[in-house]
Amino acid sequence: MRLIIRDDPETASKYIADYIVDRINAFEPTPEKPFVLGLPTGSSPVLIYKHLVQRYHDGQISFRNVITFNMDEYVGIPENHPESYHSFMWKHFFSHVDVDPSNVNILNGNAADLETECIAYEEKIKAAGGIELFLGGIGPDGHIAFNEPGSSLASRTRVKTLAYDTILANSRFFGNDLKQVPRMALTVGVQTVLDAREVAVIITGAHKALALQKCIEGGLNHMWTLSSLQLHPHALLVVDEDATLELQVKTVKYFKSIEEVAANCGFGQTLPSEAKISRKRDSVLEELQSPKSGSPKGLFLEMPKREEIRRSVTPDLVPDSMASRIPEDQGRGMGGLTPGELPIQSMGARVEPAQLKV
Amino acid sequence: MPSAIRDHYHSPTRTGIIKFINCRLVKGDQVVHEDLWINSSTGKVIHGQTLFYGSHAVPDRVIDLGGRLVSPGLIDVQFNGGFGFDFSQVPEDITSYAKGVAKLNKSLVQTGVTSYLPTIVSQKSEVYHKTLPYIGPSGSRRIGSDGSESLGSHCEGPFLNASKCGIHSTSILRPPTNGFADLLDCYGESNMSPAYSPIKLVTLAPELEGAADAIEELVSRGIVVSIGHSEATYEEATTAITNGATMITHLFNAMRPLHHRNPGIFGVLGTPATEQVKKPYFGVIADGVHLHPTSVTLAWNSHPSGFVLVTDAMSVLGMPDGTYDWTNGERFIKKGHVLTLEGTDGTIAGCAISLLECVNNFLQWSGATIPQALGAATSTPAAMLGLEDVKGSLEPDADADLLVLTDDPDESGNTVLKVDQVWKFGEMVHSSI
Repeated sequence: MRLIIRDDPETASKYIADYIVDRINAFEPTPEKPFVLGLPTGSSPVLIYKHLVQRYHDGQISFRNVITFNMDEYVGIPENHPESYHSFMWKHFFSHVDVDPSNVNILNGNAADLETECIAYEEKIKAAGGIELFLGGIGPDGHIAFNEPGSSLASRTRVKTLAYDTILANSRFFGNDLKQVPRMALTVGVQTVLDAREVAVIITGAHKALALQKCIEGGLNHMWTLSSLQLHPHALLVVDEDATLELQVKTVKYFKSIEEVAANCGFGQTLPSEAKISRKRDSVLEELQSPKSGSPKGLFLEMPKREEIRRSVTPDLVPDSMASRIPEDQGRGMGGLTPGELPIQSMGARVEPAQLKV
Repeated sequence: MPSAIRDHYHSPTRTGIIKFINCRLVKGDQVVHEDLWINSSTGKVIHGQTLFYGSHAVPDRVIDLGGRLVSPGLIDVQFNGGFGFDFSQVPEDITSYAKGVAKLNKSLVQTGVTSYLPTIVSQKSEVYHKTLPYIGPSGSRRIGSDGSESLGSHCEGPFLNASKCGIHSTSILRPPTNGFADLLDCYGESNMSPAYSPIKLVTLAPELEGAADAIEELVSRGIVVSIGHSEATYEEATTAITNGATMITHLFNAMRPLHHRNPGIFGVLGTPATEQVKKPYFGVIADGVHLHPTSVTLAWNSHPSGFVLVTDAMSVLGMPDGTYDWTNGERFIKKGHVLTLEGTDGTIAGCAISLLECVNNFLQWSGATIPQALGAATSTPAAMLGLEDVKGSLEPDADADLLVLTDDPDESGNTVLKVDQVWKFGEMVHSSI
């Protein structure tokens, strides 16, 4: 798992948006080989969409050959309802970019047969060649998509009843009237997310700190469905400082150091392309099969210059001895001895010579 | 200063869908930062989201408006003529009348007025018979290049009170003694059919004999009744409203002034609305001549949602200063945008001001917001005519009659709205940039 820590939601969102742009551009999607992108809704991704739209307006990315699959949608509210996820995606993303509407997939919460709708969705993902990058957000209870605590970690797209916590949290979008909040939603399953080649999740804010802690430092647990990412080979979490509040200092430092070292060595976080991996594998095999092979030339990649990482650094721990914090004239309880002055003598020296004769 | 407008074709397939981006939309009492989608084939505003998900359609043109305002097109419900054409003057060859109307429509639209009520001041019966067929609702062709659209005509008279005639010829004014039958006789039976009438609005004096019957019958035929050129007391005006009148023609002008013991027609705006009696809409000429700016703001504050800006513009709108012939053998003098009747002590004879100038005056005098000031010339007149879903709105399914405006301050710091583009039925018909 990669954990990228940035100072605030703004810079975290920018990081993940830039990451997506780089990923799509490196993929060089075409109509025959489209990039398949999984997309979330919610408050955390809003800034990501804003950056993506900006990059589109600046001419740095096109979504023409990108197929999108959204994570979830409410059951039973009209598609044009201002709080539907169709409306959210339209407002924040689709209306501003060049995505082809026939490449857009969102679960239909008003389908006559919801079960068929869910099965068809899984099939559509399969037909599109699987999801290349699934972007996600999480709830304060660690749910990814609408996979509420207690959801099977092997779940697939299905109808899901919303947890009371989620209904409470979402009531702010429905005039604070709990009765207006839909009780059910259609959502991709945990396994649907895990099947993606890569999963990138944005987590910002102190209210999500506990969820982040449970998902990284805790064990795999269906009560925190995001923890399932521990099983994913290419998971990327991008968080702000506030979201790390519950993490151990050493966890934070470890992940910061990974990014630091990787950057110093010229590696980013981007996954190597499959073509590159297979080229390398071929050359390794060639080397292994040739007994006279010399030095492993060409195995090492050129190191591109990486841009500087902009985020605050956790201050280094300065170890000091506890005794050094005690003033000189105190702490003489041990007969005036300090640990450094403890006299070393053999045990034998404490034994009376007479006893030795026995 | 907003940046340049950038218009680029987006998709090779022609869907007729245009998306305006980087603009501020005047919607209700708000200015919102949203894109606007229109369909130039149907001439309507569309709901981009429904189209995107439902029909998988994308715009083939994206127009970056550089941060400008987009307002619904202006609606003038009292417009006597302009650019040398007078709706009340019948030429010998009536076909030249039709040509004159067509020419006027193309000029008028450039001022930002995308629909209006061609208004005929008190005339002999034969004038109505001849002219009304040419100035009925003209939008059925839905062709933007036709210019401004008639929503039906406004017959201002001749059932007016002779003592409040203004510049209307007293010899022609008459009471509807026989009620609606007199209106049928005057305007012509074929122009008053319950199925179709070129008349959208009639101004009359409700205190005249037979007026009550006329009001009820007009309203039942879908024609809006407006109180004007009237000596009506507060009580008489209230009765007219109970009978179905919903509008007051150029408030304060050609009616009794507000008196504290008899508040007159203006008084109905001070009465709380009830189930039976709603506060009426009222036209206001904000040219700085017909009314003192304070009278304008007094009217606005008494009933903002009924406040309709009108021009009462005459044929000399857009013409040079001088003396001009008018109907019934009279002449008037144009000086700037002020018109007076020749041989009188400065009786005001309509005006020669554009509706957008009235909006700007009102904006400056009242402290109203831009959406409120524009609303007085768009959504409010549309609602008065019962056309709030079609005109004066940027909501989906409304007609795509649009103004692209700048709202920069002038030298003295007042916000001034200026028309950069006019769109009619989804087609750009004027651009000044």
